Parts: sequence; structure tokens; C-alpha cells
Amino acid sequence: MNNAVLQAPINLEGWLAGGTEPLPGEAISWLRAERQDALRRLRVQGVPTAKQEGWRYTGLRSLLEQPFRRHGESLTAIQADDLDQVLIEGLDAHRVVLVNGRFLAHLSHLAELPRGVRAVGLRQILAADPDALEGRLTRVAGEGAHLFSALNTAGIDDGFVLLVDRGTMLERPIELIHLSVGMDEPRVAQPRHLVVLEEGAEVTLIERYVSLGSSLYCTNAVLELSLGQSALLRHYRVQIESPQAFHISGVFLSQGAASRYEGVNVGLGAAWARTDSVVRFSDRQAVCNLQGLYLAGDGQVMDYHLDVEHGVPQCSSRENFKGILYGRGRAVFDGRVVVAVDAQKTDAHLSNKNLLLSREAEVDTKPQLEIHADDVKCSHGTTVGQIEPEMLFYLRSRGIAAPLARRMLCLGFAGEIIDALGPQPLREHVAEQVGQRLERAPAE
Amino acid sequence: MLSVKGLKASVDGKEILKGLDLEVRPGEVHAIMGPNGSGKSTFAHVLSGREGYEVTGGYALFEGEDLLGLEPEERAHKGLFLAFQYPVELPGVNNTYFLKAALNAIRKARGEAELDAVSFMRLMRERLKILHLDDSLLKRAVNAGFSGGEKKRNEIFQMAILEPRLAILDETDSGLDIDALRIVADGVNALRSPARSVILVTHYQRLLDYVEPNYVHVLSKGRIIRSGGKELALELEEKGYSWIAGEKAA
Repeated sequence: MNNAVLQAPINLEGWLAGGTEPLPGEAISWLRAERQDALRRLRVQGVPTAKQEGWRYTGLRSLLEQPFRRHGESLTAIQADDLDQVLIEGLDAHRVVLVNGRFLAHLSHLAELPRGVRAVGLRQILAADPDALEGRLTRVAGEGAHLFSALNTAGIDDGFVLLVDRGTMLERPIELIHLSVGMDEPRVAQPRHLVVLEEGAEVTLIERYVSLGSSLYCTNAVLELSLGQSALLRHYRVQIESPQAFHISGVFLSQGAASRYEGVNVGLGAAWARTDSVVRFSDRQAVCNLQGLYLAGDGQVMDYHLDVEHGVPQCSSRENFKGILYGRGRAVFDGRVVVAVDAQKTDAHLSNKNLLLSREAEVDTKPQLEIHADDVKCSHGTTVGQIEPEMLFYLRSRGIAAPLARRMLCLGFAGEIIDALGPQPLREHVAEQVGQRLERAPAE
Repeated sequence: MLSVKGLKASVDGKEILKGLDLEVRPGEVHAIMGPNGSGKSTFAHVLSGREGYEVTGGYALFEGEDLLGLEPEERAHKGLFLAFQYPVELPGVNNTYFLKAALNAIRKARGEAELDAVSFMRLMRERLKILHLDDSLLKRAVNAGFSGGEKKRNEIFQMAILEPRLAILDETDSGLDIDALRIVADGVNALRSPARSVILVTHYQRLLDYVEPNYVHVLSKGRIIRSGGKELALELEEKGYSWIAGEKAA
């Protein structure tokens, strides 16, 4: 890898250079070309500044100051008991486990998958059958993606690949656990996931980012999701990580005709977590429901960017994000929905609601709805508010002390999103985690 | 049970209660009537501990203890319950979860064991039956999207679950049709016992056809200007509030 491509003063060279094991698939010409192309984009783009839209509210300095190095080894020492700490009781799922960005077959349970489903580690498939990925990997997350997505592509290493054949319906969910384990020096993991559902396929994917301990690390994940005609993907993302960690996710979704995406993003954070969701419709009558819940307290920034483009007619999208900020927690919600001139009969509704539990908490919310077509149903709205004293008094008058009353109201506010999380054990897990965060939040 | 003497309270510097006296003994039902602006709701709010009221004089003892220095939840723990004139909607807060949290908070404060889920459900179903309420109430969010009548019934249901020693009903009858009024009245009557007291704050005599009070008080300009038996309510209904106010002035 040519390190000189990334110019000083930034510390990003290490993101591609560290580790003892080289990147896989150097002999695969299309992959080599993709990596080279990503490097070229990195060179052209450079590091975003606060003057750029999309980075206005997010200082990158604290991230760039860290001397992160690529995590180049597989942590096979991690055993099932280590994993037990982060499992959700009662959640019945096929399981995929990555540790620090590397797929670990000995912790994954994929043996019971039905015919028509291929679920493997990225390195595995690059070694065994790279042709299966040609024209698929990097197709959805290409030009236009930001610096960190390009960095991920330049360093494509390992991740999870899910290919589902036409008409295949998967009853049990697939749970993808990305576990981060602190090392002696700050490491960056760049997992790369690819999900391709062919026509009529139906899958539930639970994607979790968790950590052991509270160390400093960075995860820079990219997911490419491609839904064929009438395919259905339920996608529940839950990110609950070390309070020192940096987390970057780019979710790139391409939807075919009449396909349906039901996505829920839950972020309880890291020190800084940024998620970009990029949605493109390739054909008519697709439906995209994108919901989210984020919490941030002292020393945390949660940063969401939605980029939904209605380029074809008759598709509908609903973006519904809610945030609870306490202590000195900060959040950014930058939701952009564009309806192109030809995208008639588009139905798009963008909503962002925030609850601030302290005076020091802060949210920058910027919903943007750009409509260039004339026959559409679109709306957007944001709110930033506090707990209503009337509601609090009502609960207290029934004997419920103020701290619990506040928590109940916050969980009530968040309930709509938590309830959308599909399997009951997952919903209960998230409600419990949210409750615990709020319990530790300083009262005001 | 409740002993109020010379109670004065103001809102934004404006005095609303101007020396109110009231004595409620165990088992009694008191109706407090009066025209709009007489201070009826202020009285209920001050007793329940709502913010925004400044007590400038007098006292209120609840079972011998100073009530006005307590937090709202502490008043509930002691056995006070306010049925709101305008029950608050709590979107996303499940009714069953809410009532279980409330009942167990009260039990805990009293040093009693918390009810487990099974015993609590049994209690809920039993009380629903007594009040002829539909059990869909249990699954809904507290008051969210409820009609006016449903909200008032939910207040009575909460009262039946929490079993207060003193219940204050703040214009619970206003805006109710006759069926809803009956449910509210049945709820209050079912709760009546020698150990329990009720204060009915109301504008109209109508509720008193169904819940027979021991005493009726007329509140005017922040003071109780007349007290009597239930016949006072009928007289008021017939002659209007101006009758009393006029008499007083004369």
C-alpha cells in the first residue's frame, strides 16, 4: 500500500498500514482497481473541514488526533465465554461474529441456514469465490460517499457477506455482532458488509456493535445493501459501545421495484458516533422506512446524516428519528430528502424529535426536503423540547418519584422506535439499556 | 383526616385563596361548590402540591401532619389522590406499567411488599369489573387519544387501584354524559368506607344526585362562605350562586 497518498497533517496512513496480515485479494484485479479508485478519491477529497455541509457540526479533530492503526490480525483467542457477556438472552438467531473487524467462524453459528442463503466472511469468499462479488461489492457505496467510506474501500479487508437467492424467505433473523476489544495501542477496524437480496427474498438482519471494556478504538464500517424487486429487508442496528470509542457507519441502500426496507437505528453511543444512511431507489413502488433513536450524555456526540434520493416515481420513504440528550450530550441530525423532477407520486415524510433533559445538552437538527416534482405528498418537521412539567406532575401525583417519572416519560417518548425493533428480546434489551443510561443521567 | 385553617394561596402574586377553613373527618364526603374563579381548582391543586402556587398563609394538616411541605409523590404515599380536571396524556407510557409503578411506589414508601405481576393483574381485572370498564384500557398509553369521558373514567380507575385515604375529585363530572357520570359516581361510591374521605369539587349539583355528600360548602372569592347538608346543593341549583353571594353582601 502506498502510504504517501494520504497527505500530512492527518493521521490516516495508519488506518491502512498497521497490522501484520496483508489485505486479502491483492491478486483480484477488479478489487485492486476498486481500492485504487478509492485511494484516488481520498486524494481528491482530502479531509473534510467544518466549512463543508455535512461536517459543519462535527469537529473531526479529536478523531484525527488519534494515532489509530489498522487492526491487521484475527483475534482467535476470543472464546465463547467472552461473547456471552454481550449476547441477548432469548434472542433466537443465526449468528455471525466479527471481532475487531475480522470474521470469526468459531464463534459464528451459520450451519442451520436454509438453501438459497449464502452467509460467509468476506475474506472467505474472496479466497474461495471472488467472482460472486464482482460487480456487487462497492457497487452501492461508490462515488459520492465521504472520506471514511473511501477509506473503508481502500482498505477492504474482512466483513460479512449475505447473498440470498430469489424467493428465499429466512424465518429466523441473522444477528451480526461486531465486537470490539481494546488493544495495547488504538486500533481501527474497517469491517465491510454486503447484503444482496434477490427478487422476493425476505430477511431480518440484526446488526449490533458492542465492546468489551471501555477502551479507545475506532470502528469504520460500511454496509452495502441491495434489494431486488419485491425483496424485504428488516434491518435493526443497535450500537452500544465503549464510552471512549469512535464509531463511523456508512449504510448504503439500493432498492429495486416494490422492495421494502424496514430499518431501525439505535445509537447509545461511543464518544463520537456518526452514521450516514444513503438511500437510492432504482425503480418504482419501493418503500423505505428508516427510524432511529439516539441518546447522548456527557462526553458523547451522536451524529446522523440521511441522504434519501427519490429519483424515480411512486416510491415512499419515511424517516423518523428521535433523540434524548442529557448532561452535556450532543447530537446532530442532518436529514436530507430529495425528490427529483421525474419522481411524481412520491410520498416522503421526514421527522426528527428531540428531548433535552439538561440545559447543557445540545442538538443541531437540520431537516431538508428538496422537492422538484409537483405531484407529491411530502412533509417534514422537527421538535426540540423538554419534559413537560404537567406530565411530570401527573406521575408524581400518583406517587412516582421524579427520577423514575422522568425515565418513564423518556421511555414513553422512545417507545415508538423501540417497539419497531422486531423480536421481543431485542426490544426488551434496548429498553433496558436505554433505561440504564437514563438512570445514570444526572437529574436536573 | 384533613384540617385546613386560614389557607391563603396566590398565583403570580394574585391572591386566590383568602383564608379557607375546612375540616374533613374519616368517612365523610364533602362537596365544594362555587362559581368559576371562586378558587375551587386552586384549592385542589394546592392540596396536591402542583407547582405555580404560593401558599402565603394558614396550614393544611393531613392526619395531623403538615401537608403543604411535602413533595407531590410524598402526598400520594400518605394516601392523597387528586382526580384531575384535565387528565394529562402520556404518549408511549403504558397504563398497566404506569399503575403498577405508582402502586408499588406507594406500597414501598409505606414499607409494604411490592405486588408481583400476577397479583397486580388480578387486582386490575377485579377493579375493572367493579367499574364496568373495558380491559382494552390496560393496553393503551395513559390517556393518549382518550375521549374526555374515557380520561375521567381512567382517573376513577386509578383511584380504585391506588385506594387513597383522601380523594379529591377536581370537577371530574364536568363534560360527562350521563353514562360516564354514573361510572364516576359508582367508582366513588364503591370506594366509600368509614376510613376514607372524599372531596368533590364541582360546579354543578348533578354529580351529587349520584354521590350523596355529608356536607356541602360554597366557595366564593377564595373563602367558604356557607356550609350545610346536601340540601344546600339543591337550593344552590334552584337559586344560583348569585343568591348566596348576594345574601352575603347584603
